[in-house]
Amino acid sequence: MQATRDLDRGRATAETVDARFQADLDAFVSAQQEAGLDLLSDGLLRWQDHFRPLLHASKGLEPGALTRFLDTNSFFRAPKASRAVPKLERPLDDRFLASLTGPRVVTLPSPFALAHGTGLTPVAVAHGVLKPQLDLLDADLVVLAEPFLAREKEPNLGAVSEALEALSGGPPLALQLTFGDARKLLEQGLAELPLEGIGVDFYATHATDVPKGFPKLLLAGVVDARSSALEEPESVRAFLGRLADERDVERIDAVPNGDLQYVPEPIAREKLKRLGEARQ
Amino acid sequence: MTDVRFLSREIGSLAKPPWLVKARRGVPLEEADVEHARAWGERLDVEDHGSLVEQLTAKGEIGEAELTTWAALYALRLLEHAGLDVVYDGEQRRTEMYDHVAAHAKGFEPRGTVRSFDNKYYAKAAVVEAPRVEEPYDGEEYRFVSEHTDRRVKVPFTGPYTVVDWSYDEHYGHRTSLGATHEERRDARRSFLLDVAEHVVRPNAAAVVEAGCDWIQIDEPALTTRLDEVPLGVEAYNKAVDGLDVRSSLHVCFSDYRLLWPHVLELENCLELQLEFANRDSRVLGTGGAARPGYEPLFLFQEGGPAVGLGVVDVHTDFVEPAELVRDRILYAAAVLGPARIAGVNPDCGLRTRSWDVAFEKLRKMVEGTRLAETELNAR
Repeated sequence: MQATRDLDRGRATAETVDARFQADLDAFVSAQQEAGLDLLSDGLLRWQDHFRPLLHASKGLEPGALTRFLDTNSFFRAPKASRAVPKLERPLDDRFLASLTGPRVVTLPSPFALAHGTGLTPVAVAHGVLKPQLDLLDADLVVLAEPFLAREKEPNLGAVSEALEALSGGPPLALQLTFGDARKLLEQGLAELPLEGIGVDFYATHATDVPKGFPKLLLAGVVDARSSALEEPESVRAFLGRLADERDVERIDAVPNGDLQYVPEPIAREKLKRLGEARQ
Repeated sequence: MTDVRFLSREIGSLAKPPWLVKARRGVPLEEADVEHARAWGERLDVEDHGSLVEQLTAKGEIGEAELTTWAALYALRLLEHAGLDVVYDGEQRRTEMYDHVAAHAKGFEPRGTVRSFDNKYYAKAAVVEAPRVEEPYDGEEYRFVSEHTDRRVKVPFTGPYTVVDWSYDEHYGHRTSLGATHEERRDARRSFLLDVAEHVVRPNAAAVVEAGCDWIQIDEPALTTRLDEVPLGVEAYNKAVDGLDVRSSLHVCFSDYRLLWPHVLELENCLELQLEFANRDSRVLGTGGAARPGYEPLFLFQEGGPAVGLGVVDVHTDFVEPAELVRDRILYAAAVLGPARIAGVNPDCGLRTRSWDVAFEKLRKMVEGTRLAETELNAR
């Protein structure tokens, strides 16, 4: 943080900031390994927001107005379309998809999120931008982060399904409904989408809203990435047990309910540790 | 012929001058910092600024409180020299709109820093017990400004919803742990919100009103961030200004204004909504809808509700809006709402992320554009 601030103010060089990013990435990976997590993430440390690197890498999409991200005090440049068919021109490089050793999870925006507010269809951004990027990925799971869909008044799951079909054939995909109540979508058949897994925020969704016999991998958002309150591993473990027993869910992965960038780094680190303890 | 006159004003914050920032951080001043104080002191006719320059040059003992008072005076003069009708002190005494509250009110503990956007960060606190103000903390700030200007004064206060939304909750939310129902979470939020409105914002605003202030502005940039909580935010606003004999306005920015409807109709004692539009707008001159996409939300306000304080300056870019662009934005808004529904003209938000050079030029052009728009409207 200080390094990027210093860079903005001309008090640090790009090389210094690169070195700092690498050190932070190493520390973040170590923290995940120490917590015993199964899949490692690069933490998207160099992403300015949820979309920016993909917007810079694509023709036909560009960063637009500074926009509040949901109910946080963080902002992103909302994607803006400059042509009807966007196209990934330069796949994301190592700065934005860092090389990691071991099983890894990669997070990208969902096609619905990337198309949100642009006037483009989810399938257009899936075909033109996300699919070419996915085809180059070596990942054990790709999480498509979806912050907007659960907040739609009348969500169109058909359009989402069409876009997800366009992304099939590559690494396993999960759609994670970050920071939102999934009840309405679950009622409408979210679990039937062509995906390996579905992520649900259990700080916004009641456990009983998960349909019995949930047929997919459930990415259970059991660590609240927007709260400084630290989860008790025993409580989380008990909750996961309830999900398995009472909702008859066979495959559950415990995850945060969204990016941990909404809590200060020491708190994020402690939450990761507790997430690891909860799954033991 | 009408007699149109729009009050020009700022929203709140200006950047802190480098001589204050460095002093607070304990960093030695450089020549450029002293020159900043000298050049701006001269440019803004800051009374007796030579004594500040002398003290800074001599690297003598000058306390942080005294420097902060100087900064407040400089900021006040900057706003006056830009030509604003309504002024304050650029929030020079406040660290930041959220931190100012969390640091002064009881019941909050700092938790660290998170990203706002790009390489901008802000501090967050957690509420750990029912919050309250034991000693109102903005009275001196207001008294200083009112004693040093003959312009109208508007005092900004961070609104209850924003305080709650930007805080971590380690007190009320203990009942709303993993897997809780929507209703349980909502009840916890409401309790937190009404406590902040009644025991933090209101007593502080009341103290300033008692000191003679006749215009307060409640800043609620977070107001529309949770679709189902906008009515709670309105309820909290009403509680925060309840019984205060003062002109009140509400500032909301970087938000989806569609979500304010119809709830803004329930606002009590709210004369205007100061809103951000320029951030969404084009830079093309013109008074038609095609040139003014950022002002599309104004159509919402045709239905009624408070008057609108029109954001005409983008606070997140160094681009200085030409007076003609400001004029066209105002003329378009006047065509959509009618001039009587435009309470005044302002930047989208506080200008604290801009340098003083940029902020000053933006404000100067804003005032110039406002006068151009008035001339055109009055000639019709």
